[in-house]
Amino acid sequence: MEDYKFLFKVVLVGNAGVGKTCLVRRFTQGLFPPGQGATIGVDFMIKTVEVDGEKVKLQIWDTAGQERFRSITQSYYRSAHALILVYDISCQPTFDCLPDWLREIEEYANNKVLRILVGNKTDREDREIPRHIGEDFAQRHGMYFLETSAKEAENVERLFMEIAVDLMEQAKCKELPKYDGSLGPLNGKTTSVNDSSCCLRS
Amino acid sequence: MPLKISLLTKIMTSFIDLLTTLSITLCGPGCCGCCSALRPRYKRLVDNIFPASPQDGLVKSNMEKLTFYSLSSPEKLDRIGEYLFQKASRDIYRRRHGFVIIAMEAMDQLLVACHSQTLNLFVESFLKMVQKLLESTDPQLQILATQSFVRFANIEEDTPSYHRRYDFFVSKFSAMCHSNHSDKDTREKIRLAGIQGLQGVIRKTVSDDLVENIWEAQHMDKIVPSLLYNMQTAEKYETVSCMETDTRDGMEDDPPRLAEACLRELVGRASFGHIRSVLRPVLTHFDRHELWVPNDFAVHTFKIIMFSIQAQYSYSVVESLLRHLDAGAGTRVRAARAAVLSNIVAFAAGDSVGPSVLEIINNLLTNLRASVARDSEKESDEKLYQDALINALGEFADHLPDFQKIDIMMFIVSKIPNQRGKATKADFRLQSILLKSLLKVGTTYKTTELSKAFPAAFLDALLRLSSAGEAGTRALLQRILHTLLDRRGNAPALAVPTVDYAELGLIVEKCSRPDLIFISKHGYAIFSSLYDGLQLESNTTENISAIYTTLALLCVELASEETVCDMLQLILSIQQSALSNPVLSVSQQCALHAVALALAALVPHVLVLPRLADYVAQIIEARREEAPHLLPPLLEDYDLSPSKMPNKLPYLMIDQMALGECLKANGVEARLQPAAPYAGSALAHRHSWVEAGAAQGRDSLADISAGPNTELDSANSSPGVQRHAGAGGESVSLEALRRAAGGPSDAERREAERRRATLNDTFRTAPFDHLLAITQPKYEIKEKLEEIFNSLSEEPLLGAGIGGSPAGKPTPCAKYFPELFLY
Repeated sequence: MEDYKFLFKVVLVGNAGVGKTCLVRRFTQGLFPPGQGATIGVDFMIKTVEVDGEKVKLQIWDTAGQERFRSITQSYYRSAHALILVYDISCQPTFDCLPDWLREIEEYANNKVLRILVGNKTDREDREIPRHIGEDFAQRHGMYFLETSAKEAENVERLFMEIAVDLMEQAKCKELPKYDGSLGPLNGKTTSVNDSSCCLRS
Repeated sequence: MPLKISLLTKIMTSFIDLLTTLSITLCGPGCCGCCSALRPRYKRLVDNIFPASPQDGLVKSNMEKLTFYSLSSPEKLDRIGEYLFQKASRDIYRRRHGFVIIAMEAMDQLLVACHSQTLNLFVESFLKMVQKLLESTDPQLQILATQSFVRFANIEEDTPSYHRRYDFFVSKFSAMCHSNHSDKDTREKIRLAGIQGLQGVIRKTVSDDLVENIWEAQHMDKIVPSLLYNMQTAEKYETVSCMETDTRDGMEDDPPRLAEACLRELVGRASFGHIRSVLRPVLTHFDRHELWVPNDFAVHTFKIIMFSIQAQYSYSVVESLLRHLDAGAGTRVRAARAAVLSNIVAFAAGDSVGPSVLEIINNLLTNLRASVARDSEKESDEKLYQDALINALGEFADHLPDFQKIDIMMFIVSKIPNQRGKATKADFRLQSILLKSLLKVGTTYKTTELSKAFPAAFLDALLRLSSAGEAGTRALLQRILHTLLDRRGNAPALAVPTVDYAELGLIVEKCSRPDLIFISKHGYAIFSSLYDGLQLESNTTENISAIYTTLALLCVELASEETVCDMLQLILSIQQSALSNPVLSVSQQCALHAVALALAALVPHVLVLPRLADYVAQIIEARREEAPHLLPPLLEDYDLSPSKMPNKLPYLMIDQMALGECLKANGVEARLQPAAPYAGSALAHRHSWVEAGAAQGRDSLADISAGPNTELDSANSSPGVQRHAGAGGESVSLEALRRAAGGPSDAERREAERRRATLNDTFRTAPFDHLLAITQPKYEIKEKLEEIFNSLSEEPLLGAGIGGSPAGKPTPCAKYFPELFLY
């Protein structure tokens, strides 16, 4: 069943409690964990999606937002194809920290990495960051922008699908940043396995 | 079956896949074998190992067939692997975990059975399989995958695999190490699996340069924090030098212990270039997780690192930590880091050689200086930091060979700011801090021979500092001298002046020949500097006590008939200075008297001089009755009536003539005699004392050239000697001051002269014992006499002239009482 054509690594970053884990759980497992505890270090999920009839596997690394885990989470930026920078629209400080996060990304991530700014928790009544502020910020820093709600499953699917589409386009244009992942050689092989089994069968 | 197919078609989108699935489902166990003839043999063999129900487990007999087949036709191994992997992937997708486990078990067995030459073909699909399992969210599968991976990691491959990548495994295992699973047991298991996996990756990659470089930052930044994170959850940190249990198989069942074992393994395998890449994430981790304060865990971790690191690289850990000391943190954190440093620095000392030692010392001193300069607002924290650094210095020095300790001490002395210029407050602080470090190093040094402990330049520097600006600094310096002088552990007993030595239990041994040479060479410089030290206005009781201890130690360490005269002369000088030095306060004068007497009492204790002992005991007795303030212990403040002032009690002083008499009675006059001419003048004031020193220097020079150690006779050219000869010059003015301040009145002088005449007669005629008997209650006369002698000795020409004439025909009297004769 190893039939995916592409594998992309997506890393979620952002302050503690903005809902990174919930976004991932909503996307990969289709549920919203109400009492989700703080992530420790790094968490890992996988999800295969289909883009233009081709299977794309997303390896999603969900990092801890807490300051003390910063050193280990930073080490995951490097091999990422896409970085999702999350803030909480009902919490100004999480937005104020964005420049710091960008600086970190600048320092540790591949410079061609796809960056997406996500304002989470649109279901909340007490919005503090208007949509256009987030949009402006994203535009200024060359990021995609999306507002989501993990609770209401709003825009979550779209977020990851757009990433998959974008990365696939990049990959097809051979612009995909070279990364040294373990699955590099695996992709090509996957198809050949299926081909060979097909030949043998017929 | 139709249900199953319909389910499948819903899920499967690719047509090829559908076909494959169909064929497998059709030809799987429990189906009719009609299609099996169409399928390749290896597929049939693989299919057959799966039981009808996953509960039945692997079909053993069929597994043997598969193993046999793969061994006999290894070229098929890669296809078997691929096929197994496909099957397992499908089962994972359908959450049929029972079959997944069976597939993994089969792969494990094949892996073990395979010859290493052919293994390469199989490993690709094996690793894909492991990865697939790791990607699942089921803890059970993740743990299973890890176990398989560890089994694989323990197989020695003989063909390098250039293209194999472990990036995913490192990432995933690290993530597992941080598992936050809600169930505690499962969480432990996942974390344990993560550590085991990391251990496997390390083993697989570390020894082979051709595969992935595990030491790269991107891996170490994941591995090291993951291990540390697990280690820090241990309830208590027990640091042992090596793990008793064999950690080879990762049998530890709790994450902290396994993580520790893994860290040990990692550090143990690191070569010099790689140590830094391990240490950097360690330091960052401690910073991020704020584990410096309290620093138990940091100490624990660094000790582990020191225990497991290859000994020759251990100093690079110290270096890294030293460099990190200041890295953007508060003073408390810095202090904690320094404390960690002091805990581990000892390990490095044993294997450090040459420049690296001095580099570390220099680095520590630089940090100390920076700390002093920082002048932090939180004084106490900064002090903690400094103390920790000094401790580190001491710890480090403690484990160095003795000859290096001296080098280090000289190095530290050379860093002490010169107080000649205008010294700032910071300079003083630095001075005292460096002296503290010096003391710390000195404490670790075990003196064997004084000449080795005090090379000329070092001794010179120390003595120069002994007149340094601040009282506290001077006391510190004396303590350094104590540690270096005290070879027999007498210092605590001699900490404060006393006259009762019998109960102290001092350990006295005969002074060795090299020590004698040393003291005859440098004794004068030492005594002179200590004497100077006692004359300072700013002296506290502590200073005086400290100098007393130094002198007492010298006396004990160098107990010999050759040195006893020097000692007694010094004692008399001290007593004289207490009477004559105008800058001293009354309490300082009292203290000096007490010290002089205490030392005088010590001399007969270390040497067999019963007469002297009796004499001193008499003075003590007399003072005890009349002037207890002239006896130890030293007090901060003396409340005295004018009649009890020390200079009003001359009959309670130690008398130089009596001393000479006592010595002679005990048979040491042979040595005293040649020294006698300067003994008299030394008694009087420092100017003469210096001259006497010079004479003594010449004397010892002759001594040395007669002996085997002729190379030592650079003594007279040593800067110390010259310097103190120079210092003698300025003391003349002090002497003049003294005379101006309080010379004896004319009436007293006449009275003294009258008595002297009578006394002279008596002394010339009476037998010695009788003389002694009548002298003792008459201290007063002697005191007056002495004062006259003092004024007389201002005219050395006269002294020499008179002293010279009787030399040809020495009367007994002149011999025993040269001063008298001289007069």
